[in-house]
Amino acid sequence: MTCTKDILTLSVEIGDAMLRNGAEIYRVEDSLIHILESYDVENIDVYVLSNGIFASANEDKEDACSMVRHVPLGSVNLGKISALNQLTRDICNHDCSVSDAWTRLEQCKTLPTYHGLIAVLACGIGSACFCYLFGGGVLDAGIAFIIGLFEQQLLFVLQKHRVSKFLTNVFASMFVSVISIVCLLLGAPILYDKVIIGAIMPLVPGVVFTTSIRDFYNGDYLSGTIHLIDALLSALCIAVGVFLTITGFRYLGGGINL
Amino acid sequence: MTFIIQFIVAMIATISFAILFSAPKQELLFCGLSGAIGWLFYFIIVGAGLSPVFGSLIGTLILTLFSRTMAVIRRCPATMFLLTGIFPLVPGAGIYYTVYALINEENQAFSSNGLQTLEIALAITFGIIFGFAVPQGLFHKLGQLLHPAEP
Repeated sequence: MTCTKDILTLSVEIGDAMLRNGAEIYRVEDSLIHILESYDVENIDVYVLSNGIFASANEDKEDACSMVRHVPLGSVNLGKISALNQLTRDICNHDCSVSDAWTRLEQCKTLPTYHGLIAVLACGIGSACFCYLFGGGVLDAGIAFIIGLFEQQLLFVLQKHRVSKFLTNVFASMFVSVISIVCLLLGAPILYDKVIIGAIMPLVPGVVFTTSIRDFYNGDYLSGTIHLIDALLSALCIAVGVFLTITGFRYLGGGINL
Repeated sequence: MTFIIQFIVAMIATISFAILFSAPKQELLFCGLSGAIGWLFYFIIVGAGLSPVFGSLIGTLILTLFSRTMAVIRRCPATMFLLTGIFPLVPGAGIYYTVYALINEENQAFSSNGLQTLEIALAITFGIIFGFAVPQGLFHKLGQLLHPAEP
């Protein structure tokens, strides 16, 4: 028989990984409770916030155990969430012993992501498509594609140097607006607003916003608020980037009609 | 014809963004479908002259229901299809035009654009909430029809 501490560590570790990769609070809480129950742990209490996990188990027994974990807000990785979800299901169907679960958890954590080049290409294509959807022409979409390619590389560089999320958004949206305005000034007949809109789409916090709504829906108001503020601040940073660029160009350029 | 082009472009856009959020390869196509369906409804409603706020509401509602159905069929969290599919409906353009009006000191345009961006965000919120208000039992039944082997 495994002791409570091992099981609790395993489940909190799984919850930690889920939360880190952007799962909503309800899913994490639910998974933790189900995992603990399926290993016959009693008297479970689990409280999850968007950046912390508190769990205790077997309160009234000899080997009572509780754990507190701090989890920083991370970037969303849907592949890992899905893999961890599958792991939880298998544990609940009693297909997975504690030691197997540890190895599978390690596999989930190191799940290969897409190659950097594919991400760069995806960012370009995505920007181009959104530029087109929001009313840009084919030429606008082409420019947005090229901007998207460089944008993702810029994001990688900023990520590598651990620039804060806010500055990343400001820099990236400034970069996008500068390039589109420069293209316009070089004489390309583009609708620069559509290009900018297409190219800021990869920065727009749609995922965080949706997570926040789902947290609110499930009654996790505190975590919902944390995510909502995160989303609003990101949107604000994007806005600041565009604002700085356009006003900057107006001061510099005198007669440019932006 | 326009609808088909819009559908395909929205689908490619969603798939690209799904890659940025590391969605698993075997689900990419379905992520794309959910984004395209949400956008198509939005596009039709806005094209019919109704407000973008209403379009976002219906688009998100359909998208949420579709994600939940796909979650049962593909046996993955609904979040996967919902998060990626929401992208075309997020008011990125609204943010831009609000800032643009602010720069030009057009207070009226600023407030109307800002308000509309907020309204769209609220519409998305309610679309998701209504979509999740449909009882899970219905989706369970669908799952039992599709995967009869399981208890």
